[in-house]
Amino acid sequence: MKKVHSIIGVILLSLLLAGCAGTQSRNTDPETDPWEGYNRKVFAFNQGLDKVVRPVAVGYDRIMPDPAQRGVGNFFRNLDSPVTYVNQVLQGKFRQSVSTIGRFLVNSTIGILGFFDVATEMGIPFYNEDLGQTLATWGYEDSRYLMFPFFGPSTFRDGTGSVIDTFYSPVGQVFHGSNRWGLWIVRGIDTRARYLDQDAELNSAYDPYVLMRDVWWQNRQYQIYDGDPPMMDYDLYLEDDLETVEPVSTGGE
Amino acid sequence: MKLRILLVLAVASIFSSGLLAQTQADDPVSLVENITGRIYADVTENLEEYTANPEALEELVRRDLMPLLDVKYSARLILGRAGRDVGEEKIDEFSDCMTNLLINRYSKALLYFSSEIKLNVLPQRGDLNEKLTRVRTRVTLPGGGEAPVDYAFHKTPEGWKAFDVVVEGISYVTTYRNQIMPEVQANGIDSVIERLNSGQMQLAD
Repeated sequence: MKKVHSIIGVILLSLLLAGCAGTQSRNTDPETDPWEGYNRKVFAFNQGLDKVVRPVAVGYDRIMPDPAQRGVGNFFRNLDSPVTYVNQVLQGKFRQSVSTIGRFLVNSTIGILGFFDVATEMGIPFYNEDLGQTLATWGYEDSRYLMFPFFGPSTFRDGTGSVIDTFYSPVGQVFHGSNRWGLWIVRGIDTRARYLDQDAELNSAYDPYVLMRDVWWQNRQYQIYDGDPPMMDYDLYLEDDLETVEPVSTGGE
Repeated sequence: MKLRILLVLAVASIFSSGLLAQTQADDPVSLVENITGRIYADVTENLEEYTANPEALEELVRRDLMPLLDVKYSARLILGRAGRDVGEEKIDEFSDCMTNLLINRYSKALLYFSSEIKLNVLPQRGDLNEKLTRVRTRVTLPGGGEAPVDYAFHKTPEGWKAFDVVVEGISYVTTYRNQIMPEVQANGIDSVIERLNSGQMQLAD
């Protein structure tokens, strides 16, 4: 249960940082990101932290052969299965939840503790659910964007959900055991290594903070809607210049 | 109207050595199936040649993919209100350099995924209307796993054309828009075009 203290510590740290965030005046998306000033500070903190984390991730990426790296990814993904299962049930996706149990059983045994994703080869589909997604499907659709130190982009809803997820999941307890820091660190490094390819793009962006927010936010909507979000309203993008510029695709006789 | 489509098809098929003649159906799903399918087949077949000569691949992509895209509409969506008052020529110029960027990136991705490319176009679903629709595809990645890639199509006088690519929910138009609109407002469109042309701009997939 020491985990609780560390999480509370992180939240307190966030609040402290929030306290000194008053001077930031940028407001690129007041609707989804009203805490932008604070979030930008945490983003800068995480970027600073990355100066240490990135070289480790690069080393890990070099040392680990691709199949081994895939195995580590599979292992952590398999540990998430119970969380997915519970949230599938909470969302009434019973048929899918059966498939998640099947995956977990197959991969934990034949797949040797989850290192091999045998279930996918057997054609058992993979789903990903968590409490944040459940809350969203229950009607808590809009939540403020919130950047966490160490953990990165989230929302108030999803951050709260993630914390609760680690408690009720029996496998989450693995992370609460005596070797928990080792596991958290390995998972962190493994996750970081997956995003190495995107570094150049983030660094060369006009506004890296906004790029990260956009990519995370859109992908999160995609997860919440299980890969089928409503099509966005592109007309909104044109509305502003309709008065001055001719629409493109008229003239069709 | 029909005549115009036929004319476009005729011209396009000359450029693509008659291959486009297969594209009888002009609904978005068939368009994606035929055109991307053909590009993937070509890349798989001539992988060595294209690896040695990436420009030839860019040429192929430009020739086969461009007729499917409404790049100018994308450019307008991306510029939004920043596209106000800059004039038609500037928008064209901007659209051209975005196109070059897109072709360059798409070609690189094709080479990277090389022989393991497999494309699965999902059937059209009920949610299309007469002017706007979405084609959903799954691209099989090397080492297992699938990337969902969707295309947003709208109907133009020349038929259905794609104007946005959405990878795992991340829209090309939205993501670029939120970078480029403020940059244009801060530095002006000329500076942005210059930056794009010099190849400094690399963001999102």
